[in-house]
Amino acid sequence: MLETVRFIVFALLLIAGLMIQLTAVLGACRFRFSLNRIHAAGMGDTLGLLLLCLSAIVYEGFSWISLKIVLIVAFFWLTSPVCSHLIGRLVRETDEHFKSEAKEWKP
Amino acid sequence: MKTKKNDPFQHLKDWIENGDSALEVEMQDELDDTESQPLPKEPAGPQKKLFVLDKKNVLKRLNIWYAVAAFAVCLALIGVLVYAAAQLPKFGGADTLVDSEVTAFYVENTMEETGAVNIVTGIILDYRGFDTLGESHVLFIAVCTVLLLLSIHGEKDEEQKLKADAYDRHFEPHHDEVLQCCARLLTPLVLIFGLYIIANGHLSPGGGFSGGAILGAGLILYQNAFGYKKTERFFTFRTFKLVSLCALLFYSLAKGYHFFTGANHIPNGISAGHVGNILSAGLLLPLNFVVGCVVACTMYALYTMFRRGEF
Repeated sequence: MLETVRFIVFALLLIAGLMIQLTAVLGACRFRFSLNRIHAAGMGDTLGLLLLCLSAIVYEGFSWISLKIVLIVAFFWLTSPVCSHLIGRLVRETDEHFKSEAKEWKP
Repeated sequence: MKTKKNDPFQHLKDWIENGDSALEVEMQDELDDTESQPLPKEPAGPQKKLFVLDKKNVLKRLNIWYAVAAFAVCLALIGVLVYAAAQLPKFGGADTLVDSEVTAFYVENTMEETGAVNIVTGIILDYRGFDTLGESHVLFIAVCTVLLLLSIHGEKDEEQKLKADAYDRHFEPHHDEVLQCCARLLTPLVLIFGLYIIANGHLSPGGGFSGGAILGAGLILYQNAFGYKKTERFFTFRTFKLVSLCALLFYSLAKGYHFFTGANHIPNGISAGHVGNILSAGLLLPLNFVVGCVVACTMYALYTMFRRGEF
């Protein structure tokens, strides 16, 4: 019984993580401007990775391996937003048509 | 840095000293007009003199012959490699490499003879030690080539140096608060992790190459966050030369001694020790450290060379 529940939770988390990664990839390919693409790609690196790693932890149970997976999540949550921030800053400083693009996407 | 009144490089120096804030102001004014940004002109290097030779035709003919020869050499090399690949045993076949004595020998004897729990390290640093020595030298030669082509170290022309610095500062976000905070937290962890991988090279997966790559990544992260002034305190061109020289020299001498004494059955005083300890496996641990140093230096040197042309 408990094994079944664990498997279901594992499968749900895995599918949710894969869906998020798929959305991230689609967004990174489909959006036209760099900042929108960063927005999509950053989601995959944080939420998608968290869900995938959670599924791996559920599958593995409590062990040293799951502790290392937690460390992977912590590392990515530290670094991925910083990367997005730096890319965004670089786009703002180097893109020639930044103003027109930013205007187009104003609400 | 001198500050004369009629210094022709004054604008470059200003830019270097407060590049970010100057850039901010410019970005507000002229976002759409990139041409009026004070991008320094292309450096008119001494390379252009190459094309002002008198014997133009000779050079042209040489160029054609050079292209033909290069093409022929490439074709020959491709042919040899394809022929060699065709002679290899079938991949994944049932009886492939079954009759190879070397594989069985390695699996059975590596731990006993070298003291390495990680058989791969035992093979690449002991049985095939000269192969790894060659790989380290390949890395070193790659850096030497890049240094020849891109280095501005020892350049007499002050303008060249300043321009390189200005180029570097132009788009690079220096003194980024977020990045610095992250790097302050992560750099020690990354460096310790790299050292851990190197030190456990003979016990667990890893070794000099992977650990050295992680060390280099840590150095690059620190450099990115804090700039050249901070890294120059502990890593300059001199450090690079010293570390590379000592590492490669130690590797060559130690491996030469080991092979010479081993081949002539002379007792060399290097024992495998207690298998499983950190301080065991004879030469493997220092050799791993040496390879790690070379790889880390190579990574960092390539990065700085391609970024600015100077350490």
